[in-house]
Amino acid sequence: MPPAGAATLLDVDIKSKDFRSASGRPQRALENLRLTLKRGEAGAVVGPSGCGKTTLLRIVAGLEKDFSGEVALPDHGRLGVVFQEPRLLPWRTVAENLRIAAPQATSMEVEALLDALGLSAHAAHFPGELSLGLARRVALARALAIQPDLLLLDEPLVSLDAVLSLELRERVARLINETHVTTLIVTHDLGEAIALADRIFILSPRPARMAAEIRIDAPRGRMTTEAAKAIEQEARSIIASLRSQ
Amino acid sequence: MIRLASFAAMILVWQAASYFADPRGLPGPAPVLLAIVDEAKSGSLFANLAVTLARVMAAFVLAMSLGSAIGYLMGRNRLADRWLDPWLVALLNLPALVIIVLAYIWAGLNEAAAIGAVAINKLPGAVVVVREGARALDPTLDEMAHVFRLPIKTRLRHIVLPQLAPYLAAATRSGLSLVWKIVLVVELLGRSNGVGFEINMAFQLFDVRLLLAYALPFVAIMLGVESFLVQPLERHASRWRGDSARRRY
Repeated sequence: MPPAGAATLLDVDIKSKDFRSASGRPQRALENLRLTLKRGEAGAVVGPSGCGKTTLLRIVAGLEKDFSGEVALPDHGRLGVVFQEPRLLPWRTVAENLRIAAPQATSMEVEALLDALGLSAHAAHFPGELSLGLARRVALARALAIQPDLLLLDEPLVSLDAVLSLELRERVARLINETHVTTLIVTHDLGEAIALADRIFILSPRPARMAAEIRIDAPRGRMTTEAAKAIEQEARSIIASLRSQ
Repeated sequence: MIRLASFAAMILVWQAASYFADPRGLPGPAPVLLAIVDEAKSGSLFANLAVTLARVMAAFVLAMSLGSAIGYLMGRNRLADRWLDPWLVALLNLPALVIIVLAYIWAGLNEAAAIGAVAINKLPGAVVVVREGARALDPTLDEMAHVFRLPIKTRLRHIVLPQLAPYLAAATRSGLSLVWKIVLVVELLGRSNGVGFEINMAFQLFDVRLLLAYALPFVAIMLGVESFLVQPLERHASRWRGDSARRRY
């Protein structure tokens, strides 16, 4: 839980982001998009597929420079990013992947992290020997190993089967609770957003604008089933009204 | 096993052919082996082999390091690629003999000219192969390295080199065989020792026995380098490619 009056850690203010389509005409992906996160908060960006969520994440990660607006992050802030594809180094073992990204982490820390994500048995495996679910967890462990100021997750649970997806969701929720790492999650799954976030940002269809923001006072483990249902209903009515516009 | 059998078959064919041929034109395996032993006893076989091997290694290291650096630059930087490509094409199509003769004329009949000429012959091949490898580098891993702010040294060692390894192995393989052939020509034209020089002597005496006595041990050495150095290194570099590792993460 964020301490009261905590400083703003992330302040994203995007006026516009255009892509040039194949025909050469600029296509607007994002427009007037403002979102802030305080230190220790988890934010989830929800929107229909292809609305520009990943683009937003890439801008925050510093991978897209060509946009008008501003992204304010702490100086020298460390970013831990979990991409949709795990993007591990296939020629290095799981433990080596962590150590290469986080050379300052002690072997105790690496072991503890692998243990927390249920990866201890796979430390010496190469990423090619892992299932997608396991590889995702390694990517998450790698992002956490650098002790990030901001953790960025791009659809961390997509294309996993339902059981695996729920299990990993639980782990992520626990990690956010335990480490108080400021987190920005991008997802198309409303249930995932409700289970993980302190704040939910709902984007409109393309070009994506900030349509609504829902604050969750008792997030993650402290959320009651009724509260989750109420939030879901509120979010669904917002999304439905966006569609009918 | 199959390799050994194939090798034995080659010796047999040679033996059979020598029965029907003029012994001066094609001596059998036994007389050649005797000649090798004779040359080894006098010490001149090892001295010449060592000199040639040193030239091969010097020219190879020079060409590979320079060629890899230029190839990497051209594969990563479009402007550099545009600028250097015509030079590369010119160098690729310049006959080895022209480079060697020019090097001897301009730099004199010395060791530097010899090794330099061989290196320049090998250079464009290495550039082309490594450029191809640098073009194929995975951009998603570059992005990963960027957001995790990995230092240059880490990127080279853990991201770039493992991806270039198959290309470097291919360049090494084709390079070694090309370099040693050209070293012989360089020695024949302007050096007074080495395997190439001895082969020139054998040619002037029409002594095929002596010619093979120098050529075959050198082929054997290069075969040894390939199977005991290049291949094990390659296996080590690709040990992560298990049966199930065809998927890409």
